[in-house]
Amino acid sequence: MAATAPILQVQDVVKDFDGLRAVDHCTFDVWPDAITGLIGPNGAGKTTLFNLLSGALAPTSGRIIFDGRRIDGMEMHETFGLGLVRTFQIPREMARMTVLENLMLVPAPQLGERLWASWLTPWRVARQERRIEAQALDALGLVSLSHLANEYAGNLSGGQKKLLELARTLMAEPKMVLLDEPGAGVNRILLRSIASNILRASVERGVAFIIIEHDMQLVMALCDPIVVMANGSVIAQGTPLQVQQDPRVLEAYLGGQIHGAA
Amino acid sequence: MDLLGIVDYLVGFAIMAGIYAVFALGLNVHWGFTGLFNIGIAGFFALGAYTAALLTTSSPDAAQFEDFAFAGNWSNLPLLDWGVDAWYVMGLAAAALCCGLVALPVGYVTLRLRDDYLAIATLGIAETVRLVFLNEKWLANGSKGLYRIPEFLGDVVSPGAYDYLYLPVVLVVLAVVFVAVQTAVRSPWGRVLRAIREDETAAAASGKDVFRFKLQAFVLGAMIMGVGGALFAHHVRFLAPITFDPLLATFVIWAMLMVGGSGNNWGAVLGAFVVWGIWSGTQFLPGPLGEPSFRLFMIGVLIVSVIVLRPGGMLGEERRTARGAPQAQAVGEG
Repeated sequence: MAATAPILQVQDVVKDFDGLRAVDHCTFDVWPDAITGLIGPNGAGKTTLFNLLSGALAPTSGRIIFDGRRIDGMEMHETFGLGLVRTFQIPREMARMTVLENLMLVPAPQLGERLWASWLTPWRVARQERRIEAQALDALGLVSLSHLANEYAGNLSGGQKKLLELARTLMAEPKMVLLDEPGAGVNRILLRSIASNILRASVERGVAFIIIEHDMQLVMALCDPIVVMANGSVIAQGTPLQVQQDPRVLEAYLGGQIHGAA
Repeated sequence: MDLLGIVDYLVGFAIMAGIYAVFALGLNVHWGFTGLFNIGIAGFFALGAYTAALLTTSSPDAAQFEDFAFAGNWSNLPLLDWGVDAWYVMGLAAAALCCGLVALPVGYVTLRLRDDYLAIATLGIAETVRLVFLNEKWLANGSKGLYRIPEFLGDVVSPGAYDYLYLPVVLVVLAVVFVAVQTAVRSPWGRVLRAIREDETAAAASGKDVFRFKLQAFVLGAMIMGVGGALFAHHVRFLAPITFDPLLATFVIWAMLMVGGSGNNWGAVLGAFVVWGIWSGTQFLPGPLGEPSFRLFMIGVLIVSVIVLRPGGMLGEERRTARGAPQAQAVGEG
């Protein structure tokens, strides 16, 4: 449990959308052996922060350092290449591709993604494909979706799509995963399976997690430390107990914004 | 019409349908697999056709065609005097290369933008190419057009039998293009393209450099269209800017892909033969039914019925199932 350096450093990050400041001078560290919770009321800027970390958006100012390298302003496929993978609040699956294809897409670099290789050395591509297929079937087994491997991803239920997103992050063999509301719209039993998968990846594979989640039961059970955001700023961070007892957190959740605005 | 006439007609029909099938495969790479909205096929069509024609056509007798302005005549160079008609093959390759070289910068500036900008840009290329060949008279005789484009292996068979020789040529080229496209889209490369078509952001979140793959697909599709143009040039053997009107050089190809099945290469080929069959066959209908406007109307009816009855086209996109995966009953319809 003693990591020497943070894997992710968010330093004074700001994101403005025209007049609106969605992320306001955020600073916090994430440690490689931890599952970090990111909570806060709706509109606190959590998903915007994820977009900044993953490269979907570039910050207006500030620095984001991942694994010793500055990643602010990088594109999504570049941060992916460094081992930083994200999921989406509303699952984004390739609807008219099978579940298995959705996963086989992920590993990189793939020889067959070069056009010449698939024309000139198809046997080498086929060999690699067999390996990737086995890997994808393993990942499907972990999230209990094996029986749907050949189904179109668009036909899955909402909860199954969440599991598919989780399997997608496992396929990437990441150093760090950003999960945006993995539990939203998922029933209790499925939720438990998602939580145990997260825990297993964290313990067995040493993957660092940041999880945005509104289900406090899940957050308190799974996450330590917890970072709390409100109105774009980090208002508190610490262990679940510290955060629960922090008056600023209670204020943010129980109408502090109304006070502040008045 | 006597029997020989019918056979002649069918051979001519199959040549045109085969050439259109090449274009439909090119469009399938753009739209069917990658979701790139190219509505300027006519531009690559014209560019490919003119490139091949300029490389193989020798300038006609000056006394006979006194106002013929022409920058071609490459085929007279002793550069490639191999006995065989190497220049035709060169022309085919050059047509593909030329279209690729035009698609590269256009794709580079538009493929990062929203989808609709590509549509506008391709429409722009089509019009630009047409206007260049119309106004630059020194290049390809302007509006009067290029004529006497030679027959492929023209010295082997008599002019009357040319179509019988050219049909297998077209079919061989079609087969090569088909295999190349089918191999490409079934490979992991094609999987990335389909992922981009389905959801660009998700493809990027899966680590794919979306822009790079879109650019590759755009260039490959354009090159295939160039090959189609080159085949066309040696078939009709007369090119003028007016040949490449949006109806028969863009719209009809879209109709073929929609009818046959977008995202399915067999569908693209089938659609080319079906739509061209209707377009070409309806000219024999009696009276006003054989009018071009009615024939176009028939194609419109076909498109609407396919969209209503079989939204995926006659042959929909195939689902790529893995044999190694445990089989299960489908959740919804496949």
